[in-house]
Formats: sequence, C-alpha cells, structure tokens
Amino acid sequence: MFLDLTEEQKLIQDTAQEFARAELEPVAAQLDQGDDRGPMLANLKKLAELGFMGLNVKDAYGGSEAGVVAFSVAMTEIARACASTAVTVSVNNMVCEVIQAVGSEEQKKAYIPKICSGEYAAGSFALTETGAGSDPAGMTTTAALDGDQWVLNGAKLFITSAPYAGVFVVWAVTDREAPKGKGISCFLVEAGTPGLIIGKEEGKMGQHASATNEVIFDKCRIPKGALMGKLNDGFRIAVAELGGGRIGIGSLGLGVGLAAMDYATRYATERSQFGQKISDFQAIQWKIADSYTELEAARLLLMNAAFRKEQGKPFAKEASMAKMYATEAANRACYHAVQMLGGYGYTQDYPVERYARDARITSIYEGTNEIQRVIVSREILKNFSS
Amino acid sequence: MKILVCIKQVPDMESRFRPNASGTWFEESDLAFRMNEYDEYAVEQAVQLKEQLAGEPEVTVLSIGPDRVNEALKKALAMGCDRGVHIQDPAPQDKDPWQIASIIAQFAQGEGFDLVFTGMQSQDRGSAQVGVLVAELLGYACATTLVGFSFSDGLVTARRELEGGIKGVVKLGLPAVVTCQLGLNTPRYPTLPNIMKAKKKDVLTIPVADLLHEEAVAATARFYPPEKKGGGIVLEGDVGNLVEQLYGILKEKTTVLR
Repeated sequence: MFLDLTEEQKLIQDTAQEFARAELEPVAAQLDQGDDRGPMLANLKKLAELGFMGLNVKDAYGGSEAGVVAFSVAMTEIARACASTAVTVSVNNMVCEVIQAVGSEEQKKAYIPKICSGEYAAGSFALTETGAGSDPAGMTTTAALDGDQWVLNGAKLFITSAPYAGVFVVWAVTDREAPKGKGISCFLVEAGTPGLIIGKEEGKMGQHASATNEVIFDKCRIPKGALMGKLNDGFRIAVAELGGGRIGIGSLGLGVGLAAMDYATRYATERSQFGQKISDFQAIQWKIADSYTELEAARLLLMNAAFRKEQGKPFAKEASMAKMYATEAANRACYHAVQMLGGYGYTQDYPVERYARDARITSIYEGTNEIQRVIVSREILKNFSS
Repeated sequence: MKILVCIKQVPDMESRFRPNASGTWFEESDLAFRMNEYDEYAVEQAVQLKEQLAGEPEVTVLSIGPDRVNEALKKALAMGCDRGVHIQDPAPQDKDPWQIASIIAQFAQGEGFDLVFTGMQSQDRGSAQVGVLVAELLGYACATTLVGFSFSDGLVTARRELEGGIKGVVKLGLPAVVTCQLGLNTPRYPTLPNIMKAKKKDVLTIPVADLLHEEAVAATARFYPPEKKGGGIVLEGDVGNLVEQLYGILKEKTTVLR
C-alpha cells in the first residue's frame, strides 16, 4: 500500500498552492465583499492557461491528463485561498469531463478546448430546477424536435457561472410518456443562443464571487446535433458525472476547513487570556485535535474515491462518502475556528467568518448530504438484501 | 549553445527548524522541500534565453542530493529545461561548498557548456560560494547577484546588485557562469501539461562517488538556534518623560539621530 502522491501530483499540488497564495488569497476577501468579480475572472483565465480546467481531460482536447487524484489535491489548494474560484474550477472540470465522456468527437473538439484554454471563462451544468433539486428526474424543462432543431422550454435554477459561461450542459425531458428518469436527454447550448435567458443572480450567504443564476429557456432553438449522448439517456449521464463532481466539492470543502483550522490554530498560539496562550487550554487543544483528525480522515476518503475513479473502478459510493464526510468535517472545523477566535471570529476583519459562510453550501450543492447518504446506504444494502 | 542550470532543493522556509542528532545541520524528517528560490530565477532565465534563441540551446538542469531532489528536477523540466542530471548523494549537507562545486565542475568538464546559471546562494546554507567556485574550477568568466540579464552577439550583459543599492553592469564573453538574485525575473508556474510531459524527459543519474575527488576545506562545527532575545525595553512614566527616555536611547544606542 502506497499512500504518497506521485512526483507529478506533488508538483501539481505545489503549483496550485503557490498560485493560490500569490494570486487568489490576496483578492479573496475583496471578492467576497465587493461586486466586481473581474479579479476572479482574470485568475480563472490564468488557471486555465496553467491547465487547471481539464485536469482529467485528454491532451487531444486541451486537457492536462493529470488524473483525478491531482484534480482533488489541486481543488483543495485552490479552495484554501478562495472557495468561489474553486467551485468554478470544479464545475468547469466536471463540464469538460461530461462532454469527454458522452459527447461526439465533434462536440468534444468544439467545446472542451475552449474551457481548457480559458477562451470560455466557464461552462455550466444546468440540471436543477425549482421543483427538481434532490429529485432531478422530476424536471419539467422540455426539448421537442421541430424539423432539424430542438426547441427548449423551461427554467433551471442555481446554475453556477451562468453569466460568464460559454456553454451550458442542459438536461430536458424528451419523452413525457417514459417512466421517470427514462425520458430525459442532455444537450449542449451555447451562450448567446436566442431564447437562452440568464435570469436573476441569487444573493447568497457565501461564495459570493461565483455567480449562481436562474437560466430560462424560452422557445430556445438549438441544432439537432446539440443532443449529447443517446436520446433519453440523459438522467444516467447526469448521475454518473455528478459522482466525479462530488470528489471536487469534497476536496473544496476540505480546503476551506483546513484554511479555517490553520488560521485558528495559529491565532490560538498568539492570543493570550488569563496570562497564557489560549492554545495551552485543553478546550482549545481538543478542538484542534478533533478538527485536524476529521480533516485528515476526509482527505483519505477523498484520495480513495479519486484513486478508484482514476483506476476505472466503481467509485460512486466512495465519492458520496467522501463528499458527505469532508463537507461536514469542514463545516465543523469552521464552527470551531470561529469559536476559537471568539468575538473576532464573527467579524469580517478575520477570514474565518468568510470560511464559515463559504463552507456552508458544500453540504448542500452537488447533491445534498442527505442524498449522499441515500446513495451510500443503497450501495451497502445491495450486498445485504436477499 | 549548451546551457547548464545548477539547482538545489531546500526546505520550505516557513518550516520550523531544529538541529539534527549530530548537531551540525537541521533535522530533515517532516520538512517539505522546494526548489531554492534563487535557483528558480536561474531556471527561468535559462528558459527565457532558450526561447529568445528560438529553442536552439539545450538546457540541462543538475541537482545534487537524495532521491527527493527529483521533484525539483521535474519542476525545472516542466518549466522548460530539456534534460536532467541527478547526482545521487544521500547527504549533500555533509559536503562543503568547495566539494559541491568540484562535483559540478567534474561533471561539466568535457560537456562543453557555454553558459552556467545558478542561484546566488541557497536559502538554507547561504554560502554563496558554489557558483563562483564552479567558474574558477572551469576557468569560466563569472558575474554574481544578477538582477538583469541580456544576451546578444555572443556577449552576456549582466546587471549586478552591489552594496548600498548601487547597480553595476558587466559584459562577459562565453563561456561564463552567472548567479541569479531576487528581482532578475518572475519565474513561471509550470503548466500542468508540461508537468505531465516532464515525465518523459531524460534524467541521468550519477553516483556522487564517481565525481567527488576533493576533500572538504571547511567543516560545520555546530548548528543551533539563536539565543532567545530578551523581552525588549518597556518604558514607563508620563509622556514628557517617555519622550526623554526614548530620545536618550535613540541617541546612545542607534545612529538615527546622528
């Protein structure tokens, strides 16, 4: 058993860490507080040029061919500095991977290089709807063939990067009569297509620089060839690709949790009360011990899920376990970090306040942790039922 | 043109250092290692020169140390160097700068390098001797602490940082050794595709015993943390009195008021 990263994975981790410290960390608080996401878009372009948008994508499509473990460690390092940037990178990678997995050669060549190179600031994954969150098969957006075009009607909700995405992977019902989940197909829709309307941006608790919008399809006409994968096979595609996205979001959560604990632990060794450093108090020591233990466990779960995916083994259960555990460990770490800083931790003068807000969504998006538990228990019970 | 870049792998300078068991170096277990910062400027400058000359020069990157230095070599290869040389030495810290320079010179002799780039010093030992000693042993021209570099018509124009903020400009014919200082350039981040492709570049490994023929001329006697400083001086009294005390201290103990 070998638990260390390869030289290439270490170098990618180092590169992500150096870039995050030098370019992302200095603007993270400003991005959180301000309305100008220009600095984040500029950093996304630089990250694309370094190869961070297609870590697990083939060289032929402009990817880095660095694998899933490298993707995980890179996400963690980026998220240590800026969760908004990290979620955009995670979704971009997922969009590239879904196109690579099920797209036609023409579709792969048309879109993946544009995301990998940064020509497109982002790609969007448009699955969720008002009435279809944890239950995406309950979606109502439709696609109907009219001559040589598909006509999309409906609305998607909580779509990451929508205002600056170059392409949208969109799921819509193509067979209303089919059993639930069997009549959904997947499409590629370019930004600027008439009838594709970017709706209201959500005012969120955290991850402010990453836009989250409603996306409306109003008689949106796309070419017949915009269908991705097989007709009516879209739901299976979504379920399969979300597994990889979960490794990304779990790794993001881990990064935020580590950032919070590193900050709070350093603070505890400097802050004195009752004539001694607060790190001398057992109450603080236990928070440090518990949080770092949980974050280390999260890291190992993520590495295992990433390694299995990289080896081509089934990884859905492991990805769900890792996402669920890592994001909850991150939230607990952020809670403890704020507590360790006391009143200061609740102010925006210290970054743990931002970390706590940024971490909160990680147990919700990319499949709520309740859904992760459904997946994990289903996979386990399969082996017990007669 | 043949270019050699000499790099060292050093601990992350944000680490906590403690003396090792022999008390002549720091304990290396638990430390994260990186490429010496000054050597990154050397790699960057060599790769920039290769780009300026339309890719013609072959850039060889060399490092002495245990297997972990392969990571630093891979980074240099990912930044654009063409081939690596790993001189295997489990304990380079036990060799003095003279021996390290002699190992490099022994390798370089006969290789016909036109230009050698290295950092002005390492971040851990900081002797700043290896570059100049390599130049002396090879009989090459040498300029140290470069903050500017250009190459044209077969001549290197080096802008050097001197004492007291003064800069000097020297021109060197080839072959030459230059040592690189902070401010020379901004090292590129290696791109991920280049990191993956660096796997395929050749790294030659040579046991250090094949190249080391010199005795040490200096030995490290002791490695220890500096004495803890006192708590400083806390002045007490009313404002007028505080000003007088402070004025007295500044006048007697510093040059601020002279």
